[in-house]
Amino acid sequence: MASLMRTWLAALLLLPLGAAGAAGVRIVSQTVGTDEALLAVADPGQIAALSPLAHNPEYSAVAREAKPYPELVVNGDAESVLKFRPSVVLCADYSRVELVSQLRTAGVRVIVFNHYATLQDSYEMLRRIAAEVGAPERAEAVIAECERRTAALRERLKGIKPVRVISPSTYDIIPGDHTTFQDLCDHAGAENLAATLGQLHGNVASPDEQMLAWPIDEVVVSGTDRAAALAPYRKLPPYEFMAAVRDGRAALMEPWMLGCVSFRRVDAYFALARALHPEAWR
Amino acid sequence: MAAPTATVAALEVFGATVPGRIESVSVSLPAGQLIGLVGPNGSGKSTLLQVAAGLLPGGNVRWAGEPLEKIAMLERGRRASWVPQEIRFEFGFSVRSVVGQGRFAFGDDGRGIDDAIARLDLNHLADRPVDRLSGGERQRVLLARSLVTEAPLYLWDEPLAALDIRHALQVLVLARELAGRGATVLLSLHDLRLVEKLDQVVALDAGKLRATGTPSAVLTAEFLRSVFGVLASRSPGLTLELP
Amino acid sequence: MTRERRMAGWALPVASLALVVLAVVSLSVGDLHLPLPKVWAGLRRTDPWAATIVWQLRMPRLVVAILVGAALSSAGLVMQAFFRNSLASPGLLGVSTGGAAGAVMSIAFGWAAISLWCLPVSAMIGAFVAMAAVLAFARRGASTEGLILAGLALNALLGAVTGYFLCRHTDVFDRNAQMVFWLMGGMEDRTWTHVLIASPIVVAAMFVWPLGRPMDLLSLGQAEAQSLGVDVRRLRRQLLVLSTVLTAAATAVSGAVGFVGLIVPHILRLTIGPEHKRLLPLSLVGGAAFVVGCDLVCRLVGGLPLGIVTALIGGPYFLWLLQRQR
Repeated sequence: MASLMRTWLAALLLLPLGAAGAAGVRIVSQTVGTDEALLAVADPGQIAALSPLAHNPEYSAVAREAKPYPELVVNGDAESVLKFRPSVVLCADYSRVELVSQLRTAGVRVIVFNHYATLQDSYEMLRRIAAEVGAPERAEAVIAECERRTAALRERLKGIKPVRVISPSTYDIIPGDHTTFQDLCDHAGAENLAATLGQLHGNVASPDEQMLAWPIDEVVVSGTDRAAALAPYRKLPPYEFMAAVRDGRAALMEPWMLGCVSFRRVDAYFALARALHPEAWR
Repeated sequence: MAAPTATVAALEVFGATVPGRIESVSVSLPAGQLIGLVGPNGSGKSTLLQVAAGLLPGGNVRWAGEPLEKIAMLERGRRASWVPQEIRFEFGFSVRSVVGQGRFAFGDDGRGIDDAIARLDLNHLADRPVDRLSGGERQRVLLARSLVTEAPLYLWDEPLAALDIRHALQVLVLARELAGRGATVLLSLHDLRLVEKLDQVVALDAGKLRATGTPSAVLTAEFLRSVFGVLASRSPGLTLELP
Repeated sequence: MTRERRMAGWALPVASLALVVLAVVSLSVGDLHLPLPKVWAGLRRTDPWAATIVWQLRMPRLVVAILVGAALSSAGLVMQAFFRNSLASPGLLGVSTGGAAGAVMSIAFGWAAISLWCLPVSAMIGAFVAMAAVLAFARRGASTEGLILAGLALNALLGAVTGYFLCRHTDVFDRNAQMVFWLMGGMEDRTWTHVLIASPIVVAAMFVWPLGRPMDLLSLGQAEAQSLGVDVRRLRRQLLVLSTVLTAAATAVSGAVGFVGLIVPHILRLTIGPEHKRLLPLSLVGGAAFVVGCDLVCRLVGGLPLGIVTALIGGPYFLWLLQRQR
């Protein structure tokens, strides 16, 4: 077992980075975004473990597909990752720097992703992971499919009047521009009022009083049942005073869709576009 | 350079001033004497003792002719011993170990500890933690610690206040012995009836030196009236002595 | 009393033995299962993979735990003697809150993600800024009470800084989680770099060691100690600086691990009595053993912050000991 491990390590060190060996690659993914990308391009044998959220449908687009693979523990140390004997670990820029450092010390290749706001960032993630598993063509196939679908969506939404939306949260945080929500709006025929009227950048504290003056057509919330999804906001200022919330004007999304950073966000584009522009599908 | 020992004062304080507490107090005390420091509450007795011990700045102090600032800290621990009026012990050191602290300046050689414990009647308490002692017992522990320093100068702040009459009289006997061996003992006290057992009295009032001299010369009826606000009279009353 | 004296002779050997046993267990236990012969091979570096696990992952974590435990409990002991109060703790003067503020800022601004050095160094800077404020205050001749009040104010101020960044970054979920995790302290994935950053602890401990006897005298009163020949001003300055260095270095590499500095010296004092000459070495070894043991629990349970474990284990034991004392 250990000698096999050594062989991998030796092979890994010797190979040039871009062409890291495909055969013996074992990948551990630390974030739900990389879980989604990894499952799309890797062979099952190449996946050693997924993030602690992979099985959770609240956050993961691939909860069902992820079931056969083990999950990492929350806040685990380097050993809790190394026990899966990975050759590559996929991390985010918010992963603990000590963990990244110790994994590297143990001879594991660590890839840190630090851009995930846009679809292009998702493609980049996909390409890097596909290169690791030795299947760049799979990434290109997925990307081509995404491009085809987004083009079709653009076509369908052509000339349509954008719907003015916000993405409320019970944590008093609202997404402005440079966020995944902004990217979602850009593709789904929506205007993110927090960015256009609120001039907000990133996920920031919501300007409670100002928001009441925004001409909100619909609020984008997660859930399957309209009343249940809006219930928390109907008791929460300032949302409870918004006409859109009072009148139940809401676009319903699956929970994972609002935070998705992988190419799976294309599904979210469609979900939001259909919810906001049902007339385009008539 | 140094004057002959016989004429050098054991303790000299020049113009001791601590704002709000004492004002230009000067005293000069000879070696081998037992001296009382008296005065009403708040007259500055404790402050003067602390200045004399080098614990409070505020005046020129000489010990056996040597200016205090020329004496190294550790050396001061060997040359004079100050005992506070009251102490709170936070930690449960044993009585023996606290008494032993008196030998700190001598490299903790342990000399004289058993004697001092016996002299202050602490034998039965030697292993007791000091945070479980009564006020009088604590006072005796501090005096025992002072005793083991074998210093030539003792500055005791109200050593008798917390003691019962027998222990108080024993401490005066002890102080007399120390003076007999050439040490100087300056102690503050409130019980003016005990002052007659002393060689000299230093009297303070409202932060100022009022008088120094023998007890009978200082504690006149007018003096007691003006400083302490009491009428003095001599009448046969209860007199307590050690057996 | 006689019991205390009997314990006094045994305490140091027992604590040392406990530390050695806990250290051996620490090196042998982990998420990654290594059989004992493998651990031994790793220690001797005959098996490269096991050597990596033992020498690069488990050993630095163990060494940091030892250093942090020794530092916090000896710093606590020093503070208790300094303030003549067995309730004093290393964090009393705001040093660890300063460290926490520095660390949280480095996470908030994203410096922590740049390099392994950034977070500990920011924490160290925060701790020393707090110390400089306290020392400046002390230099003006502040009384013991004044110092405690200054510490209180500083703790509130720096706590507010920490709180501000915690609130500001609720949006970046993982960053926030990192801050919270750090505020509770932990030993996860400590590296030899962290050992290096914590190394001032060894120097400070060596300087504290000979101060045990004068600390005895100081702990019973400043003026009293001075009259017995202790240079109180110098001693107090030394103790203040040393306890700050100990606390700052520990906080920089482990986060704000609470309770150790309060409880370990206290427990040891209840066991062997208040003589600092014996308490100092024992607090270094006992504190190290305590933190190594608590970290072991963290690893076995998984994902539990160290500060919570120290309180969960230390608290009940402390209460039991107090009950028995009565």
